[in-house]
Amino acid sequence: MTPSRTAQVGLALITALLLIAIYGPIGVTVAGAFLPVKGGIIQSFAPSLTAFHTLAGDAGLIRSLVITLAVGAVATMASVTLATALALFTTERGGLHSRVVTVIVFLPFVMPPMVTGLALLIFFRDVGVDRSLLTVTIGHVAIILAIAYRSIVVRLTDLGRSLIEASLDLGASRWQTFARVILPNIRGSLLASAVLCFALSFDETLVTLLLTGTDSTFPIRLWGMTRLGITPAANAILAILLAVTVAASALAIAISQRRHAKDANAP
Amino acid sequence: MSPGLTRPGAALAVYGLLGALIVVPFLSFLAMSLYSVSGVVIDRSLTLANFARAASDPVLMGVFWRTILLCAGIALVTTLVGYPVALFIAGMRGRARYGLLTLMVAPLVLSYVMKIYAFRSILGGNGLLNRLLMGAGIIDAPSNFFVFNLNAVFLVLAVLLAPFAILPILLSLEKIPAALAEAAADLAASRWQIFRSITLPLSRPGIATALSFTFIMAIGDFITPQMVGGPNGFTFGRVIYSQFGLAFNWPFGAALGVLLSGVIILVLALALALGRVPGGATR
Repeated sequence: MTPSRTAQVGLALITALLLIAIYGPIGVTVAGAFLPVKGGIIQSFAPSLTAFHTLAGDAGLIRSLVITLAVGAVATMASVTLATALALFTTERGGLHSRVVTVIVFLPFVMPPMVTGLALLIFFRDVGVDRSLLTVTIGHVAIILAIAYRSIVVRLTDLGRSLIEASLDLGASRWQTFARVILPNIRGSLLASAVLCFALSFDETLVTLLLTGTDSTFPIRLWGMTRLGITPAANAILAILLAVTVAASALAIAISQRRHAKDANAP
Repeated sequence: MSPGLTRPGAALAVYGLLGALIVVPFLSFLAMSLYSVSGVVIDRSLTLANFARAASDPVLMGVFWRTILLCAGIALVTTLVGYPVALFIAGMRGRARYGLLTLMVAPLVLSYVMKIYAFRSILGGNGLLNRLLMGAGIIDAPSNFFVFNLNAVFLVLAVLLAPFAILPILLSLEKIPAALAEAAADLAASRWQIFRSITLPLSRPGIATALSFTFIMAIGDFITPQMVGGPNGFTFGRVIYSQFGLAFNWPFGAALGVLLSGVIILVLALALALGRVPGGATR
């Protein structure tokens, strides 16, 4: 049952306005990376790549990018590993264990990042750990753990117990069962949650801001750069990020469509 | 099933790790709200003075209620805009639906700071927004309405959080069996009647999620107010943040944080109660 034609036009109009509100500012800012823009108006049509050259020479910015990639990689690996162990534990034990672990794991995710960040900040101070990239990484793990945990639990529950029990009945050790039966079956959800965890860690700003020492991650650096004013260099960063985001999304869509096609062709 | 996980040590390891990573930090946070500060030293004797001070500070309470109002407004507007958009997407098929959904979700992956920055560049007194409004004849002179104050925070958050309203509503719309609407149509219900008595009530869980999600994300944010709020656009989040920076009163800041967490838990409980489909179970 679809809405009437007039209702449909109204819905389309609201959707279009929202898209303009979302993409308008981004478009204007990206234009400002290539063209001289003042007050949202293009001053003259003289495209240049000066802003990008400025970025390439910004050692601090590039360093922050490297830091963010490293923090993201470590936090992702730690979260996925920890989440796998937790998911195996709760799907095996079930009941009260499962409920308690789920509540704890989701607490930092459900609470606003500011509350989670402050809790960790106070904790690290209490135990005498100085703010550093280590505390930032631990903070990221606390937040993204829920994402990986949820995805792996869902996959493990779908998998059921019969395969695992069959493997154990046939004399495989627990390690063998894990490596040869469980791991191949949950690989997809591990990979998917790793991608999601990394994306979340890469853009994490609030908790990082509270937990970082002297090192700046990429979002913190951007925050410092953009707080004061509009600069062509910052515009250029948005242009690059947009390009990377679009490319990554296209890749993700292509991969998932290929997987769907493969599933459809499977006997 | 998995290596060693049935042995008693496993439970110890799991809870030890979760305790150190999550439970103890949140407990330290709670405890900090009960401490006080004398000079630069934190006095660890327990007191409710921080809460009493917060409750009796009219300026702070003003900011608190204004922030709640602001975030409730943001939640309401994003949901009111998100609902028709979700309805529009739900009515589409195939490639168009997929493409539109991607367009709505894609900005979520884009850097949060940069999205706010992009808004900043059109907001200023001389910004594109003012010029457009002047060009359209809505205002004659550059207006200060959206220039780095709470209105700007409202506008930016309402747009940035819109996808978080669209997604849960879309999910709940998709769960409604098409047969219901068809049966109603066969029984001569008008389109409006079908919407009023089937679609809207059955999408209530989505609406509740949309409202609570956007409210919580708005109230927990201090980056947007910091970037587009200007010197006077103070929100509760900014006040808390300042206690850990310039003001350097951690116990007081923690107490305000506990207050914020209380509001959030209340909103979550409210959403859970409101999200029940009338006359049925939650699912």
